Amino acid sequence: MTALACARVRVLLEAYVDGDLAQTEPDTARAVRDHLVTCTDCRRQHQQAVSLPFRMKALRSPAPPASLVAGVMSSIAPQSQTSRAAWALLVPEALLGAFILWYVSGLDGLTALASGAWSNLQGLAFWGSGTAPLPSVPVADVLLLGAFIALTAIAAYHLSLLAKLDQIATPRFSEHRGA
Amino acid sequence: MHAQAAAPTLPMTGNPDARALAAGQLARQATGGDLDAFEELVRRMQRRVYGFAYQHLRDLDEAHDLTQEIFVKLYRNLARYDAARPFEPWFWKLAANTTINYRRKRVPMPTDQSADQGATGSESGFPAHDPALIDALAQLDPAYRLPILLHYYADLPLEQVAQSLSLTVPAIKSRLHRARALLRNSLAESEEAGTQ
Repeated sequence: MTALACARVRVLLEAYVDGDLAQTEPDTARAVRDHLVTCTDCRRQHQQAVSLPFRMKALRSPAPPASLVAGVMSSIAPQSQTSRAAWALLVPEALLGAFILWYVSGLDGLTALASGAWSNLQGLAFWGSGTAPLPSVPVADVLLLGAFIALTAIAAYHLSLLAKLDQIATPRFSEHRGA
Repeated sequence: MHAQAAAPTLPMTGNPDARALAAGQLARQATGGDLDAFEELVRRMQRRVYGFAYQHLRDLDEAHDLTQEIFVKLYRNLARYDAARPFEPWFWKLAANTTINYRRKRVPMPTDQSADQGATGSESGFPAHDPALIDALAQLDPAYRLPILLHYYADLPLEQVAQSLSLTVPAIKSRLHRARALLRNSLAESEEAGTQ
């Protein structure tokens, strides 16, 4: 068996200390042991390697601050506020939806709305090309358009709130996984 | 920034299996929407998590922020926890990822500064009982420090450290050997410097 150089021994020390070297390379482990008998510097390194895991396990940390748990719980608590806001949005959405439904009043209303919108667009196109005056749009149509834009904006905001809620409160909707 | 609790120091003790069972049970209850169970889970794990964060960052306020971030992330990800599997590896994987991302967000990093200045622990507001080791740990690359802290400090077995860091057990062993060799060299250098 060839003698090992100090540099080689020091690379192997941790595997030697853990017993891994004796399992994978028993001859090398014996060579390390023999080297440690004769080399004072490597023996000191070996002692350091043996004591290191114990020193690390003995490391002390400060106690967590008393406010930590309360801080965590308040960080996850705002979901109830968000939840109330999300539900409250249903009211204007329902009102706007009811107004649009009342105006459209079924399939006939939808057809009338589509043809009205088409003629309005045509009128705008003619006005744009300079062949016709600016078309007069009924006030109800303008109101409907405003209601539709408002409904779309509120619904988009509502969806973003619900997505946030879903991200925060997923544990509440996953009881089956805990079974 | 925050009040220090009465207990001064906390060694990492306890049976990992018993801890895992209790934590896993609470996590399952919290997954069902039980906020009290989640609060109890935070109470039980806060010392280990805060200690882990502190040993990694060496700064009381940063450790507080990171611990809070880890627990909030835990709450938001509870639905992804598979109750059939042990809780601890899953949790520490989440904690390790949060720690890595947290470090990326921080500029400059206190540990990097302390590595230059000599992180004896007193700068962080907490007296270190093994300043040479604290210094050596502070100089260690996070890729080596994380498995060291998970295995020797958070007391996770090698298999769980491997799962937490998405590595194989031989890869973790090799990384731990390398990390300990680096620490040993660093300690030897500081000893030599001390004797001269």
